[in-house]
Amino acid sequence: MTPKEKYRQICREAAATGLVLLLLILLWCALGFGLADSEVLIFGLPLWAIAGTLGIWLLAIVLTYLLVKFVFKDMSLSQPFVKNGKE
Amino acid sequence: MGNLAALLPLLIFMALMIGIGFYVRRESAGTSFVKSYFIGNHNLGGFVLAMTTVATYSSVSSFVGGPGMAWQIGFGWIYMAVVQVTAIFLVLGIYGKRVALLSRRLEAVTVVDIIRARFNSDRLAGLAAFIIVLFFCATMTAQFVGGAKLFSAVTGYSYEMGLLLFGLTVVLYTAIGGFRAVALTDTCCALVMMAGIVMLLYYVLQAGGGYENIMATLHADHPEMFEPLSAGHMPLTLYLTQWILVGICTIALPQSVVRGISYKDTKGLHQAMLIGTVVVGFMNIGINFTGILAHGVLTGPLESYGGVDNIIPKTIVAAMPPSLVGFAIIGPLAASISTISGLLIVASSAIIKDVYLHAQKAKGEKVSDKKLRHLSMAATAAIGLLVFFIAVTPPSLIWIINMFAFGGLETAFFWVLLLGLFWRRANKAGALLAMAGGTFVYILPMLGKILLLITSAEWAASFAAALNWSPFGLHRIVLGLTVSLICFIVGAYKGKPTKEETLALFFPGR
Repeated sequence: MTPKEKYRQICREAAATGLVLLLLILLWCALGFGLADSEVLIFGLPLWAIAGTLGIWLLAIVLTYLLVKFVFKDMSLSQPFVKNGKE
Repeated sequence: MGNLAALLPLLIFMALMIGIGFYVRRESAGTSFVKSYFIGNHNLGGFVLAMTTVATYSSVSSFVGGPGMAWQIGFGWIYMAVVQVTAIFLVLGIYGKRVALLSRRLEAVTVVDIIRARFNSDRLAGLAAFIIVLFFCATMTAQFVGGAKLFSAVTGYSYEMGLLLFGLTVVLYTAIGGFRAVALTDTCCALVMMAGIVMLLYYVLQAGGGYENIMATLHADHPEMFEPLSAGHMPLTLYLTQWILVGICTIALPQSVVRGISYKDTKGLHQAMLIGTVVVGFMNIGINFTGILAHGVLTGPLESYGGVDNIIPKTIVAAMPPSLVGFAIIGPLAASISTISGLLIVASSAIIKDVYLHAQKAKGEKVSDKKLRHLSMAATAAIGLLVFFIAVTPPSLIWIINMFAFGGLETAFFWVLLLGLFWRRANKAGALLAMAGGTFVYILPMLGKILLLITSAEWAASFAAALNWSPFGLHRIVLGLTVSLICFIVGAYKGKPTKEETLALFFPGR
């Protein structure tokens, strides 16, 4: 990758990371506060207390996995700087 | 009095940490000193990167104060703590590659190096280094005190002895081994933290008569603990604050961002994002859940235990067999020393690399590698010892600064890093205004409290109260970040644009 391509890729990755954050915030609201009135108990715990904690953790792991698998790309870090973005 | 069996595992663990310090020092002999001492030679793998980022981030309060609050509040507290699962993938995903590439291109070793190069400003770099050293010292003191208090509560030995034991250890191995020793010891610390949580959870369940039994009692005696708002103990604004303070804005913490300079290749970075998210979630959920279950062990009202900070120490003493108490306190103490070491090496790099070396370079003087080696180790040891002595009898001033340290660092660096590294238009005027203005507004209540230390006059009290004002009762950081952003944008549009050659370096290809 040229420095220019690397920079573009890094911006894409940073933006995707931000999107995952946004998605997690929404999921956190939905699985916690959204389920707060449910009467279902799992292991003696109300549904929201499981979904809003363990559920969010697992979703964060899955989303991070998807992020590094499909959006993030390997690149060389040590390539010397070349002017005008050409190899 | 003292429980000798409680001391032995701890002594062995501390000896191991010091051993790592010496080992790293021998191993890294002959490499470029500054790079190896302050950043570990760009050599960390994914696992170690994940562990050192998590361990530096997880402090003694995540292990003592946090679960104590969970004991009091219930599942709402875990629901709030779980926002921290975003902290690791965010900072590494947003800054990991950006600072890794830039640091190699600029020969940068610290976050301040990168800020200085981006904005061509020594004043900004100096301000950043000052903010880092001030807030880091206060945070380190709190970590020392938290660890030593826990030590004395659990083992029966004195507070001072605890300080000596683990305080000198962390200063010693950090000063000797530098960043790489910090990273490796952090990894050990993170592992024993996790083991400690599992062990404590096991014994708490046993001592409480089993999971079903504890749950049945909780449902009967504390039904509010199963509601997200905990009958008003967990207001919505607190949830919002926590998302900002310990979730989103942690991407600005210099001690986290600097880890982006330290790893070897992008494969490691990707691994670290995943491993770090697994580990940080495990710790946060695990320890706070244990805090709630501790109701099976500590059945009295909160007042009978003397505050939430005593819940975990008393639980350890009540639930663990005496022969294992020594293992149980390694976890929280590991949380404390791994945070101290991570802050200490960055504070030392701020003084040596960002201030001293830069001043020498500006004067055109070369510093020999040997002299640099001695100075760096001396600086690390000096800061560590200074904090250590403050922690013996911490003055109120330190507590006041500590209250504002976490948010202060976030306010100072949030926009400067985010806009500086991803917005071409960001310039020196904007960054200077944003860092100075935002931080100043954020710490106004701190200045009010310091004023009250000096004089208790009536005018001072009402002045300090006025400084406390914050819109809608939101956490102060919202105000700090807003002011900082406005300052940044005003500066960016009114001030001089950044030089073309700097922009070409930071934003290639235009």
